[in-house]
Amino acid sequence: MPPSSNEEERKLKEISITIDGKKVACEPGTNLLDAARMGGIRIPSLCHHPDLRPHGACRICLVEDERSGRIMASCVTPAAPGMSILTASPRVLKHRRNIVRLMISEHPESCIVCGKGNRCELRQIAAQLGIGDPELHPIPNYRPLEEANPFIVRDLSKCILCGKCIRADHELVRVGAIDYNLRGFRSRPATLRNMGLEQSSCTFCGTCVSMCPTGALSIRGGGYVGTPERESPTVCGYCGVGCSLQLGAAGERVVESGPSHLPDTVNGATLCVRGHFALDSLNSPNRLTRPEIVSDGARVPVSWDKALDFLAGRMTEIKRSSGPQSIGFMGSSKCSNEENYLFQKIARAVVGTNNVDNGGLLWGRGALRSVMERMGWPRSAPLDSIEKAGAVLLLGADPTQTAPVLGYRLKQASEHVPLIVVDPRKTDMVFFARHWARVAADTDLDFLNALAATILKRGGHDAPYVDRFTEGFEPFRDRLLKLDIPYALETTGVDPASLEKVADLLARGKVAAVVGQGILAQRNVHEIMNSLLNLLLLTGSAGPEGGGLYAIPRESNQTGAWDMGAVPDALPGRQPLREDGGRRAWERAWGGKISPDQGLNMVRMIEEAEKGTLKALFIMGENPVRALPEQDRVRRALQKLEFLAVQDILETETSSLAHVALPGAAFAEKAGSFTNMEGRIQRFEPVVKPPGDARPDWEILDQWAARMGDWKPYASIEKVRREIARLVPSYAALNEAPAQAWVRAVEGKRISFSLPVDSKPLPKEPDLPYTAIFGSVRFHLGCGTRTDQSERVRAFPVEGAIGVSRADAGRLGIRAGEKVRVASTLGHIEREVRVDQDLAAGMVYVPTAVHANDAKNLVGLSSPDGPWFPGWKSCAVKIEKLER
Amino acid sequence: MEPRPIDTVRLQAIIDGRRNERWPLIPLLQEIQEAFGYVPSESIEPIAAALGMFPSQVQGVVTFYAGFSTEPKGKYVVRVCRGTACHVKGGRSILRLMKKELALEEGETSSDYRFTLETVACLGACFLAPTMMVNRTYYGKLSPPKVASILGQYRKDREEE
Repeated sequence: MPPSSNEEERKLKEISITIDGKKVACEPGTNLLDAARMGGIRIPSLCHHPDLRPHGACRICLVEDERSGRIMASCVTPAAPGMSILTASPRVLKHRRNIVRLMISEHPESCIVCGKGNRCELRQIAAQLGIGDPELHPIPNYRPLEEANPFIVRDLSKCILCGKCIRADHELVRVGAIDYNLRGFRSRPATLRNMGLEQSSCTFCGTCVSMCPTGALSIRGGGYVGTPERESPTVCGYCGVGCSLQLGAAGERVVESGPSHLPDTVNGATLCVRGHFALDSLNSPNRLTRPEIVSDGARVPVSWDKALDFLAGRMTEIKRSSGPQSIGFMGSSKCSNEENYLFQKIARAVVGTNNVDNGGLLWGRGALRSVMERMGWPRSAPLDSIEKAGAVLLLGADPTQTAPVLGYRLKQASEHVPLIVVDPRKTDMVFFARHWARVAADTDLDFLNALAATILKRGGHDAPYVDRFTEGFEPFRDRLLKLDIPYALETTGVDPASLEKVADLLARGKVAAVVGQGILAQRNVHEIMNSLLNLLLLTGSAGPEGGGLYAIPRESNQTGAWDMGAVPDALPGRQPLREDGGRRAWERAWGGKISPDQGLNMVRMIEEAEKGTLKALFIMGENPVRALPEQDRVRRALQKLEFLAVQDILETETSSLAHVALPGAAFAEKAGSFTNMEGRIQRFEPVVKPPGDARPDWEILDQWAARMGDWKPYASIEKVRREIARLVPSYAALNEAPAQAWVRAVEGKRISFSLPVDSKPLPKEPDLPYTAIFGSVRFHLGCGTRTDQSERVRAFPVEGAIGVSRADAGRLGIRAGEKVRVASTLGHIEREVRVDQDLAAGMVYVPTAVHANDAKNLVGLSSPDGPWFPGWKSCAVKIEKLER
Repeated sequence: MEPRPIDTVRLQAIIDGRRNERWPLIPLLQEIQEAFGYVPSESIEPIAAALGMFPSQVQGVVTFYAGFSTEPKGKYVVRVCRGTACHVKGGRSILRLMKKELALEEGETSSDYRFTLETVACLGACFLAPTMMVNRTYYGKLSPPKVASILGQYRKDREEE
């Protein structure tokens, strides 16, 4: 991000104060503690955190006003011109020591077994002040240890009431699971009714754990593996928010995870349950640790040379016998930019096919394809801009479950920027919303068109913007002005007053639209995204001045995998295959012809394997048997292949079918880079070595490509990065310091309006009267392949109970906890039921990822709208109670 | 005897009556306590939802103030003063007598939810020492016979009901 432009203005306003005889300049209103820190003077504190509002709870940061002799807490005292402050005068030290002595007299004497060890801030400060024995009568405040949940251990006898956990919860994460309870000596942070965390609204993000200065809050299971020997930063490998992590390692094992201390990260001091606690999946016993091939019907371990020779040999044979188009490459939105680049280069330049795709298709890439083409690429969408928008429109997304750190950002923004939630379900975001438009399932398109028409009828569109940056406005306007708004609203179930309210809120300025799977996996997503972009154009929000479109990616490098061309329709830099100029440039760079015809995407690969036209498939870091709908069909299709190679970190439902299985490295075990949802390219270095004989995926790709013939090995990741930086203009900064860069945007072209279309009604199935809506749980990512390998997540009862409305539960005679069977035309699942007060009648909510992602068996792999718009968000079902 | 179940309609009406006020939390809690004799646990979530607060925050305020009770109290709340003046004037024996008469310890409520016995640091009526309050009525210059007669009054109430 460019540095702030009002630097000079800030300088003018500065005042000067004296701290320990040293002149320090700061802005008026800065608290003395921060001012001292800017002047290089550290005042000890236990309750201050730069990301939290000053609190003044611990009183350790006392300073003395040299003139008046007053003693005051520096964290809550604003600097005033001409102040003169002493931070370590004899009086200050005397008081500070007494406060620490009092804290220690109340603290249990369990330092020797406390997991916090030397990292305890209370202990550090006591040591700095020379306090051993507090020489006070001990007044222990024993509390039972709480460890009923698999994530956090609470030992509140060690609590010093700094309030960091509570403030982190209220100010950053905004869940509100805990607050101070009672007062005085009895005061402690407590959940509602003082229940265990697992019975509260706690989301186990662990932000409180990383903030806690003492051992009162700690990571469960940390004590048994010892404190980390070393810590190093990396980027979280789970979702596409791209949180910066600090991983602690003991030997070659990752034992602890927390937010990194780097500046300007997406997540700051926060994380979610996955990044904080579910990375124990790295140590899963199901990790692939040696190359294996199937020989005489059995899988046997072999040397790397043998495995790679076997792979290259079979691929060469099949290419010769059945042609390059009989080979498919299914890549991964969890693998790095460098790996995705090599992956698609092997497919195109070595094998000669555009049959390349990555898991991003599962999470809406098909829909984003056309809208991105309209908007122009590359573009970055920094989350910071959300704060500057006039309104945030959250459509079909529950980031509190899918991308929690984005959820925190949106909740924080909602304090200044009105949040509008458009969702059939009352998600946790509704609490923070100025308005909730409760649309019926699959009717977002009608809602958005009615909204645009309302804005146009009021003349509330941003005319100067429309003139300057768009084209095709007149036909669009004429069509929309004819829209019968009440009629359009009928299907949506939204009343006209609600629509007016949304239009009012959008009239306040630029709009940031955030879309999730509720839109991206909906059947008419193509039309919805076009209408949404029209709305952004109308409100002047698709340009560089603020607002914008934020599609929540599910996986860590979903953006990067697309940018690197691991898709069947575009080359690196999202260069469309069909454009001759761009394609020829890549032909020259790689040497050889590239077909202008788009290849098979993931769904089509399975369909072609089923028909027998696809003979060989190379899958890297993807688990289609668990992730795609109709799991049995996908399994059977893969079994029909002549040759299946899988490169993964885990033995999965897919890798168990492979003729050759190659052990790759997880993000913490290799160098690479991920591009997050904002377009922030973040490089990372290995924290530990891969387990056993496993190797970084880019090395494996490099080595087997070399065995295929015309391939000069890169042998170093820098060399791969240099090539990407040279050939992909938007990634020019990939190999430069610092480790974080942004996708470089090009000058925008005019964006055209598209004509609104009416929604096509979804087919009604008379025997299937309910609509099942699929959604995620925060403990799992994607289809749950990796998170299911987390001991902690497995120990937590995420049963994925099916949500049924109160009315339907009454009609069907089902009570909470009873088992039901939910069946579609394709399959059925059986689970427990939860009665959801906020669910509309006729709707059934089915959590995915749990139970081996069996929910995917209810929807069809092949969509009637074609392979780009799968429509896996909802389907018609019937529901029946199971007799015990 | 169980405390009476909470009239949720009445509770919601009280909440709705104040939800649009500025800084409504404490007046609202006071009104609920006035109506139900305590702040029922069931009221926390509806209050939080109406005021746009986290339930844990509402609970934090309720438990912070000694004036709010989260436990149901008796119909008559007896508060015996333990201030200095009352102590000098024999407040201790008044408390002892009260405990014996009601068969309650400090802070306890009788099983029929008739009486709650509490002590307070000072009722601010030192000139009447020793003193106590029953609900909102002050009683001063207490002596054992006077205590017995006051209690007799409240007990008689029951027979009349």
